[in-house]
Amino acid sequence: MMHELPVDRLAETAAALPHASLAGLREAGRTVLARQGFPTTKVEDWKYTDLGGVAALSRAWLAAGAPVDEPDTELVRRAQAGLDAHWIVIANGSVLEAFSDALALPGIGVATDASEFPKPHGALGGLNAALVRDPVRIRVSESLTKPLALLVADSATASAVTAQVRVNLAVDRGAAVQVFEHQVSSGDEGHYSNVLVELDLAADSRCDYVRLQQRATAHSQTARLDVRLDRDARFDYFGADLGGRLARHDLAVDIAGRGASATLNGVYVAGPGQHVDNHTRTDHRVGPATSRQEYRGVLAGRARAVWNGKAIVHAGADGTDAEQANHNLLLTEQAEVDAKPELEIYADDVKCAHGTTVGHLDERALYYLRTRGIGRQRARRILTRAFAATVVDSAPIAGLRETIGDAVEARLRDIMAEIGA
Amino acid sequence: MATEPENLEQLVNRRYKHGFVTDIASEGLPPGLDEDVVRAISAIKQEPEFLLEWRLRAYRLWREMAEPDWAHVHYPKIDYDAISYYSAPKSDKDRPKSLDEVDPKLLETYDKLGIPLHERAKLAGVAVDAVFDSVSVATTFKKKLADAGVIFCSFSEAVREHPELVRKYLGSVVPQRDNFFAALNSAVFSDGSFVYIPKGVRCPMELSTYFRINAANTGQFERTLIVADEGSHVSYLEGCTAPMRDENQLHAAVVELVALKDAEIKYSTVQNWYPGDEEGRGGIYNFVTKRGDCRGANSKISWTQVETGSAITWKYPSCILRGDNSVGEFYSVAVANNYQQADTGTKMIHIGRNTRSTIVSKGISAGKAQNAYRGLVRVMPQAEGARNHTQCDSLLIGKECGAHTFPYMEIRNPTAKVEHEATTSKISADQLFYCRQRGIAEEDAVNMIVNGFCKEVFNELPMEFAVEAQALLNVSLEGAVG
Repeated sequence: MMHELPVDRLAETAAALPHASLAGLREAGRTVLARQGFPTTKVEDWKYTDLGGVAALSRAWLAAGAPVDEPDTELVRRAQAGLDAHWIVIANGSVLEAFSDALALPGIGVATDASEFPKPHGALGGLNAALVRDPVRIRVSESLTKPLALLVADSATASAVTAQVRVNLAVDRGAAVQVFEHQVSSGDEGHYSNVLVELDLAADSRCDYVRLQQRATAHSQTARLDVRLDRDARFDYFGADLGGRLARHDLAVDIAGRGASATLNGVYVAGPGQHVDNHTRTDHRVGPATSRQEYRGVLAGRARAVWNGKAIVHAGADGTDAEQANHNLLLTEQAEVDAKPELEIYADDVKCAHGTTVGHLDERALYYLRTRGIGRQRARRILTRAFAATVVDSAPIAGLRETIGDAVEARLRDIMAEIGA
Repeated sequence: MATEPENLEQLVNRRYKHGFVTDIASEGLPPGLDEDVVRAISAIKQEPEFLLEWRLRAYRLWREMAEPDWAHVHYPKIDYDAISYYSAPKSDKDRPKSLDEVDPKLLETYDKLGIPLHERAKLAGVAVDAVFDSVSVATTFKKKLADAGVIFCSFSEAVREHPELVRKYLGSVVPQRDNFFAALNSAVFSDGSFVYIPKGVRCPMELSTYFRINAANTGQFERTLIVADEGSHVSYLEGCTAPMRDENQLHAAVVELVALKDAEIKYSTVQNWYPGDEEGRGGIYNFVTKRGDCRGANSKISWTQVETGSAITWKYPSCILRGDNSVGEFYSVAVANNYQQADTGTKMIHIGRNTRSTIVSKGISAGKAQNAYRGLVRVMPQAEGARNHTQCDSLLIGKECGAHTFPYMEIRNPTAKVEHEATTSKISADQLFYCRQRGIAEEDAVNMIVNGFCKEVFNELPMEFAVEAQALLNVSLEGAVG
C-alpha cells in the first residue's frame, strides 16, 4: 500500500507557483512521486517511521487549494537576533528578500533554470521538485568571513500548510564556508516541510555545517542533506533535532575523492508525542578517506527515536577508516529507541567499527552527586547535559556551541516539566 | 606470496573432501507440491489425523506467502514444483532393529564421512540419531537414555510413541505461519529428531545427530523439537556434510527448543554442506528457522554454530526470553569462501524481567563471498532490567569479498542496558610477518590467526566439536590466501 498524492492536484498547484521556467523540474518531480508514492513502513528505510500523517496533511492541503500562510516575521527576527551572519531566510518555501542580506553576495540567488538541477531522486525528492517555490543556489568561490545562515522559518496560523525548501550549495576548490541551517516554526495548525539541501565540495574545500531543528512540536518535517566530497575536501557536521512531532533527517555523504574526511555528529532530544528519526549514509567510493560519526539521543515520556547509520565501503576503497557510534539515554518509561548501525564492506584494506548503546542514567553517578548535596532532579539534569555535551561541544562552528547547549538544556527542561519528572 | 607455487596450485584446486554420492536407490515422490503430496507424505508416515490437518493448514498458509527477499543474498528463483518432497532409503519399510541390520552401504557412507558410528558410540559416549536423507536409520544408546527417562528418537517415532508431547509442543515456538520457509517445512517435513528431558534430569550424555542430504533434487525438510522440562539440562550436537552436486539443493529445516522453568538447552551446530564449486556452481541453499523459547523462569538457551558450508545460508537461531531471569546466548562463526553467501545472525526478544542475552558473532569472508550478520535485539516494555551485549566482528581475506552488519535494536524499557559493538578488519601484514619470521608457513599462520579470531566461539563448543570445527575452518579457507 502506498500513501498517494493526487497528481492532477499537484499539477494545478505547480502551475500557480512562481518561476514558470521551472515547469520541467516540477513535472519530473510529479512523475517520480506518482511512480513511487510516499514510502510506507514496508520500505526498509522507513521501517520505523510512518509518513501516513504527513501524506494525509499534504492531501488535505492540496484539496484546500494549497494555501500559503503569511510569514511570521517576528519568528524570523527572534531567530536572527544576536548572530552575526549572512542570512538567507525561507518562509513556507518562499525566500524573504527583506531578511536575506546574503542575496547581495556574488553567486547566491534564486535559481530559475530547470536544467541546472539534477533529476529528482526518491519520492520525497520528487515531492520537493514538484512543489518547490524558490530554489536557492549558492556558489562559494572564495571563503566567506561570516557564517552563512540558512533560516527556515515556517508558520501555519490560518490553515495547515506544506512547504518545500531546496538549497543547492557548491564550494569551489580551496574555498571554505560555514553554514548554519536553522529550522523553526510557529502556529497551531498542522505543518509539514520537506527540505532538501545539496552540498558539493570541490577538491581542497571545506565546509563546517551546523544544523539546529527547533520546530513546534505540532509540526513535522522530512529533511535531507546530500553531500559530495572531492579530493582532500573536508566536511564537519553537527546536527541537533529538538523539535517537531515527526522529524526525519537523512544525511548522505558521498566520498568521491581520496583524502577526504567527514565528521557527522548529532544530538536528538525527544519528549512526549515526538518521533525523531536520523538516518546517515556514508559511501566510501575511494580510499584513503576517513569518516567519523557519533550521535547521542535523550528520550523521555512517550517518545520514539530512530537512528540508522550506514557505512558502505565500495570495492577498491582501500584505506577507508570509518567509525560510527550511537548512544541513547532513556530517562523514563514509554520511551523507545530503534537503532540500526549498518556496515557494508566490499574492500579488505579497511578499518571499520561501530558501537551502539541504550541505557539509563548511572545510579552510582547519581548517588555520588546526591552525596555532594545536589538534589535528585538537578543531578539528573547535570548528568543528562554531560551526556549530550560530548557531541554538542564538537559542533564545528565554535560560536554556536553555547546557543546549542542552551537550546538542548531548555528543551530537556521543558520535557521534564511536561512529564512531571 | 612466498608459498611454493605448486603447493598453492594444489590447495586452490583441492576438491570438496566430502563430495561423493552413495549409490542407494531412493524411494521418493515425483517432483511437485500440492495438497495430495502433503497427504501422501503424511500417509507414508502413518501419521495421526491431527498432524495431517496441521500440515495441510501449513501448506495453505504457505501458498499465500511470498518468498522473502530482504536478505543480502542473490540466487536464481527456486522452482518449488521441480523439487521432490519426499525420499527415503530403500530399507525404510523393514526398519533395522540394530546397527547390524543397517544397510552396509549406509554405514559405508558414514565411514567415508569419518563418523565411526559404533566406535564413537562406545568411545565418546555420544548417542547418535543419524538422519540419512529423510528417515532415521539408527539410534544408539537408547537404553541408557531410557533409564534416565530421556526420550531421544526420530520425529516419526515420537509422533507414534508420544503423540501427546508432539501435539503439545509442535509449532509452539515456530508456528506454521512464521515465515515462508517454516511454513513450507511444516507442510512437508519428512523427519528429524525429538528430544524430551523430564523434570530434574540432567541428560547423561551429549545428544548428537548427523544430517545428510543425498538423493538428487530432493529438498530436505527436517523438523527438530527439543523440550527440556523443569530443572533439566541437555546438550545437543548437530553436524552436517553433504555429497557434491551440480544442482542447487534446497534445505529448509525448522528447529524448536522449549526450556521450561530452570531448564537449560545447549544447541551446537557444525554445518559443512556442499558450498558449490570454485565457480559458484551448485551448493546447498540453507534456509533454516531455529528458535528457542525460554518459557520458564531462570531457563537458559545457548546456540553455538560454526557455519562453513552451503552456497547460501539464511539462518537466525533466536531466543525468546519469556521467563524472568532467563538467559539467551548466541555464539557464531560463519565462514564464506569462493561464491558463498551467508546472511546469518540471531534475534533476542526480551520479555521477562532481568533477562540477559549475549551475542558473539565472528564472520570470515574470503574469495568472492558475501557474509552478513543480521541480528535483532528487542526489549519489550515489561522487560525490566534487561541486559544485552553484542560483539560482532568481521575478518576479510581478499579484495573481492564483502562483510556486512545489519543489527537492529528496538528498546522499549528505560532500565534496559543494551550494547552493540562491531569491527571489521583484515589479517594485517604485521601479524603475518611476525608469524612468518618465527618460521610459520603462511597458510599455517593464517589458520592460526583465524582460529584465534574465532576462539571465543570455539570455547563454547563441546570438545568433540571444537576439534572438528577447527579442522573444518582450515579446510574451508584453503586457497583463500596467496
